[in-house]
Amino acid sequence: MSDLLRDEEGDLVERAKQDPRQFGALYDRHFQQIYRFVYSRVREQTAAEDVTSEIFMKALKAMPRYQDTGRPFAAWLYQIAVNAIADRYRTLRPAQSIDDFHDLSVAGPALEDLAAHRDEIRRIWGLVEALPAQQKTALVLKFQEDMKIEDIAVAMGKTSGAVKLLIHRGVSRLRDEADALRPVE
Amino acid sequence: MSMRHDPELDDVLQDKELLRLGELLSSAVRPEPPLDDAFQSELRRQLMHQAWEMGEGRPSWWKRAFAPPGMAWIGATAGLLLIASVVVYTTTHQSASSDVSYLSPIDGGSGIALQQPILVKFNQPMDHRTTEAAVQIAPATNVTYSWQINTLAVQPTSGNFAPNTQYQVTIGPGATTATGQHLPSAGTITFVTQPPAPPTPSPSPTPRAPASPTSLLTGERQLAPEGGGVSSPLQWSADSSTVYFVTVKGALEVVPAKGGDVTIIAPDGASSPVIAPAGDRLAYIRAGKIEILTFAAGTTAEVVVTPAATMVGWAKDKVVWATSDGLYAQGVNKPMQLAPLPTTGDVSVLSIASDGMHAVYRQDQKLFLLEIATAKSTQLGQASASFYGWSPSGTQLLYGGADHLVVSDTQGNNVSTLTSGEASWSSQDAILIGSDSDLFQVRPDGTSGTKLANGTYHLPVWAPNGTAFAFFRGGALWTASAPLLPPQPTVMELATTTFTKFMQARLKGQGGEAAIYLDANGKQAYSSGGLSLVISGEPHFTRFYVLTQQITSTQPDTARFVVRIVLTQGKLDVADFEETLTIIRDATTRQLLIDQATLGTRRDLGKGAAVVGVVVAAGSIQVAFDSDLDPGTVPDSVVLVDAKGKQVEATTTYANRTVTITGLELRPGAQYKLVVLPALRDVLGHNVASEYNLQLLGPAVKNQTGIVVKPPVSPSPSPSPSQNQSN
Repeated sequence: MSDLLRDEEGDLVERAKQDPRQFGALYDRHFQQIYRFVYSRVREQTAAEDVTSEIFMKALKAMPRYQDTGRPFAAWLYQIAVNAIADRYRTLRPAQSIDDFHDLSVAGPALEDLAAHRDEIRRIWGLVEALPAQQKTALVLKFQEDMKIEDIAVAMGKTSGAVKLLIHRGVSRLRDEADALRPVE
Repeated sequence: MSMRHDPELDDVLQDKELLRLGELLSSAVRPEPPLDDAFQSELRRQLMHQAWEMGEGRPSWWKRAFAPPGMAWIGATAGLLLIASVVVYTTTHQSASSDVSYLSPIDGGSGIALQQPILVKFNQPMDHRTTEAAVQIAPATNVTYSWQINTLAVQPTSGNFAPNTQYQVTIGPGATTATGQHLPSAGTITFVTQPPAPPTPSPSPTPRAPASPTSLLTGERQLAPEGGGVSSPLQWSADSSTVYFVTVKGALEVVPAKGGDVTIIAPDGASSPVIAPAGDRLAYIRAGKIEILTFAAGTTAEVVVTPAATMVGWAKDKVVWATSDGLYAQGVNKPMQLAPLPTTGDVSVLSIASDGMHAVYRQDQKLFLLEIATAKSTQLGQASASFYGWSPSGTQLLYGGADHLVVSDTQGNNVSTLTSGEASWSSQDAILIGSDSDLFQVRPDGTSGTKLANGTYHLPVWAPNGTAFAFFRGGALWTASAPLLPPQPTVMELATTTFTKFMQARLKGQGGEAAIYLDANGKQAYSSGGLSLVISGEPHFTRFYVLTQQITSTQPDTARFVVRIVLTQGKLDVADFEETLTIIRDATTRQLLIDQATLGTRRDLGKGAAVVGVVVAAGSIQVAFDSDLDPGTVPDSVVLVDAKGKQVEATTTYANRTVTITGLELRPGAQYKLVVLPALRDVLGHNVASEYNLQLLGPAVKNQTGIVVKPPVSPSPSPSPSQNQSN
């Protein structure tokens, strides 16, 4: 995020803290991002809508208590989202296969290479889903949401060092299961 | 494969293989999730309602309105329910000393439903006459007023608002309270309406829940006991109720698909069973002769041919067969040769297309496609390729080697490549791919791939109904049913996806992302000619909508979109301009990409009635305006001219802001121009500021769904100027 955009967001956040009726601008700015993240985790439209509603309602109610730590406002929304999803996962599991949630139809190279590439991506993301919850969350925020480690730390309520460790352990575990990653002949 | 490098990970992962895995994880792109625009709008409204309560520190007027007796009034006003959960607080530009204020639940909203009143709630009793007289609405719209206590409901006389339009409702200082106090200054409520509903609902594939944690299949059962497999491809009856197969011992047998006893049709020496397209006969070879079993009569006829038949099939409901030297069909008095076969090597015909135009044969280890009319052969793939069947139309075929399957046209050209396996092509255009370890279903173009089950699924063969299939496991015959693939998107839907992603990326200021949807010509168009991928400056780009969209050609698939790009100053839409985008299917990648783009004239808004939607059909054109029009000015002011500038004779009618031009016979692909002349007036007597022209093309094909569609594309999600994501 550029300094200009960050300043602009800072203004929006400050205004929303003073007057909750200004929260709409933050909602407009972050809805798509949060909804996409939630859908990728719960994989069912109605559930994604429920969780997204819960996230923004919680965020709105908590706005007066929001503390600017210098990190993007989105990191705080992700923190609420991670917790909301975790709550939901305690009772429910995702309805769909991971295959449906990572676009495997990227164009470019030879189709056969692409197919192998897609297979490998699919298998790796399948393995990510089986990781311990904290490692999985860290990997999803890093590799799917493309977040910076410091922002992931905010979202997960951990230190940057702890997030790095989670990512390292998660990816190492994927490597250790390399046999399972080989395409099925 | 391009994989993005994230320097931040260098410090974390360090190991080369870990970094590779990280880059691989990053390279998966998330598809757009299904999103109901109404949900997004509704949640915003709920949040604003909640925010207003928090800001005011008191129960919402909404809650109070729902309490009796307010409920009775609301029950009589169905439109209120649509916006029942929203309140956006709007103040007039009042002085600190004034306590007259009002609020509207839809102020600042986007995607507002077309059929609902504008509610304006005042904080004290108002004088109805002066307040109604002080209301101005732009674009010009005939409205009616009604009151409930202190809330004014403004309803379009026509019953609905214009689509894709920003309304500006100004309440002037002439409005007075019941005690005669004036509003200190004018205030304006703004909102943007949703697009019109598409004429037919777009098919939306719904995620399927697996029948079990590991399988999407149902009714999986073993039909025939283990017997070492079959010697010829098995056949389904036309009604998908029974399966015919030849055992390795040469017995032709039949078994009900639901399970039951196996019946022997021929005890030995049988091969190449094939059901007639009408489903009434079964042909097979026995001892070099062709036997034809007619089901209804239960009789079997023999056809003795010389040389001996090696394979039999049906083409256009007639028996055709192969011998060692050629393909034959029954002539008037004797067999006639359709095409010769190569005389060298070990030649065996595998299949004859049902239209009798092509056949596939193997010569030694190589697979060939034979064009029967010319006897021209084309090799398919590399040595040892296997043939898996024809497309339902017979215009494509499926074969495969060890590495992958290939969908080929009947010239032998590669159309698409699929993952390897043993395959079958269904009547529903789904390809089933089985193997030792799993079963997949995929479209011929490689899309909609779905893993159906883990396990052994050898030589799957679809039943004619496109849901049941037979396969082999451990040498035994099995059947199961697979779920249907989601409906295949139409060209217009695919083009709309390309268009929407392109425009959404531009709205976010992501030029690089937008460029993904341009082909070489499209990139050239946006690097010259005044077009810009990223629209910057003030007034700023806040939303877009489709003015019209058409399929203009099917060879190649071509769609034409005219998009309106709206520029906003503060909260008011002040100008717009059009771009005309031509989206064409790329011959190589089969993707629909933007190939041409042209820029229209920038237009200031608020200068009389404007066109906000055009629907073109072969016989009529509907032109939606944002304003209520003076009907007397319509017939001479809204006209269609042909490429030579000559006015096309037609009948013009007007109702509910829509001008309908009928009696047309538009020629496919021909150029026309819709002209709106300055003589057109709205109900307030304002003329259109300047002539408006819209280039149109005659629809590609008559009476085909999706050729001309009302703008079904969701408008940009919000009038918020910046959609940049933070990361």
